[in-house]
Amino acid sequence: MSSPTPTRNPAPPSAAPTTATTASAGYRLSTRGVLRSEWHKLWTLRSTWIALTAGVALVLAVGITMGATYDGDDAEIDTIVFTLFGTQLSQICLAVLGILVTAGEYSTGMIRASLTAVPTRLSVLWSKAGIFTAVAFAVSLVTNVVTFLAAQIWLAGSDKELTLTDDGVLAALTTSAASLTLLSLIALGLGALLRSVPGAIGAFVGGVIILPEIAAMLPLDAIDTAVRYFPAQAASSLGSVARVENTIAPGTALLTLALWAAVIIAASSVLLKRRDV
Amino acid sequence: MADSIEDMIRAYGLTKHYGGKPGKKAVDDLGFEVLPGTVTGFLGPNGAGKSTTMRMLLGLDAPTRGRATIGGREYAGHPAPLHEVGALLEARSVHPGRSAFHHLMALAHTHSIPRSRVEAVLGLAGISEVARKRVKGFSLGMGQRLGIAAALLGDPATVILDEPVNGLDPEGVLWVRNLLKSLAAEGRTVLVSSHLMSEMALTADHLIIIGRGRLLADTTVERFVRESGTGTVKVVTPEAGRLAELLAAPAVHITGDTPGVLDVRGTDAEHIGRTAAAHGIPLYELTPQNASLEQAFMDLTRDSVEYVASTGAPQPEGAAA
Repeated sequence: MSSPTPTRNPAPPSAAPTTATTASAGYRLSTRGVLRSEWHKLWTLRSTWIALTAGVALVLAVGITMGATYDGDDAEIDTIVFTLFGTQLSQICLAVLGILVTAGEYSTGMIRASLTAVPTRLSVLWSKAGIFTAVAFAVSLVTNVVTFLAAQIWLAGSDKELTLTDDGVLAALTTSAASLTLLSLIALGLGALLRSVPGAIGAFVGGVIILPEIAAMLPLDAIDTAVRYFPAQAASSLGSVARVENTIAPGTALLTLALWAAVIIAASSVLLKRRDV
Repeated sequence: MADSIEDMIRAYGLTKHYGGKPGKKAVDDLGFEVLPGTVTGFLGPNGAGKSTTMRMLLGLDAPTRGRATIGGREYAGHPAPLHEVGALLEARSVHPGRSAFHHLMALAHTHSIPRSRVEAVLGLAGISEVARKRVKGFSLGMGQRLGIAAALLGDPATVILDEPVNGLDPEGVLWVRNLLKSLAAEGRTVLVSSHLMSEMALTADHLIIIGRGRLLADTTVERFVRESGTGTVKVVTPEAGRLAELLAAPAVHITGDTPGVLDVRGTDAEHIGRTAAAHGIPLYELTPQNASLEQAFMDLTRDSVEYVASTGAPQPEGAAA
């Protein structure tokens, strides 16, 4: 690709800036504008489409496989947990997407353009968090419902036959989507906090997923109880019709996850205001 | 629009420490004003603190001390920052995975700037044809053009450009030169940094020169040229050594690279001619030379260059033959 034909430079360079002057009176920074900007940014990157497509495909594929190959062996596993086993994998896709939304701007330098356009800064992070939460939740919920219905094509007639209107089914599908979303929002917050894509992925996988598992192995009841309030452990009580053993109640879990996300976003907000870009 | 004194840039005692350490100052007690309607060149050797100063003007870096205002307020205090100031930063500020059009559109949305304006600045920068391609494949020059398009997006009263001609071909350099002049002619405030004095001499009206984060000169190009040196006088004589001794005075600097040729600064051709005549020294040539702008700039910043090439022999200076 050659450089743009320089001879095509529009004749008097003054023309365009001047002509826009009259219309430009309406230019104004607004929260609505920042939300639109973040929405636009999210959908104009291939990585967004790749992460979401991979996440959806994994849940669907695993769900259908589980349903089609069910032979009664895993009768004791909750049907929704059984069907949505793929969310364990899609969680990584969504968390990486959350990290790319924030830390990706630092690795590319885009953040300098973003914060020059929005020098008050905070609305950039909060709009990112808001848009990402809405998109991740909507996509996860639709995927969960579709996967459930697809898996039920094979599960009908077995001991895992359920309908959407059965007690606790919709709640389990919804809280599963909420837990995926909130854990990914924590990842987004880590991205903003650490400003590095590999750093944030490391912190999420190491600190949120692996470390509490190791801590839980320690033979101390106090640690055992505390670990239940860690994000990934709180999330494990969600997305199940039956109450999951050794976890906090689903309502408490949702609140716990939301608090974790809020604390991390708040911490990254403070740093965003204070740090040089 | 941008024709009032309200649109000027002011810096008061701007100071920035590196990594919070008081020892190393990137910018040290820098104060200046940039007026609308003219192109102001912001000059300094590499590492002088130009980019840091520009980032402080835009609120990207917080000053350790001091304050900077644009149009009477700090940048972040404006209701429409992109309409107030358009900036091109030295470091690339674009996601390479996004197309030029979508990059500008994302920025435009924040200020409710219409799509027609995005297309207008793409045309202005001469990158309409590649607007739908991902920035990843852009050359350095195309990246600069996209950065300039982004700076003009909000139809800003003030334009701040950090090394805009970097990576541009001669055609592009000429384009930037004319663009800056026309922006200033429209009454906008234009601050443009460079490490090349020769480029600034062709573009700027006013000069702010810094070195090691300190203000070295705040002047007009014209005055800088006039004051930067009285110019040198080239003297060709078979008795160079003797003439040099006779001319020696505290204000006079004589250099000589080739035998029989002297470059004399600090006095004029008349004095040299009379001195030579009084002592019977034959002169083959006596030519006043206008100081080269680049040389004057280098003289001014010599003590404050951050990185000096170790291989280059230092210029012989002082009353020596």
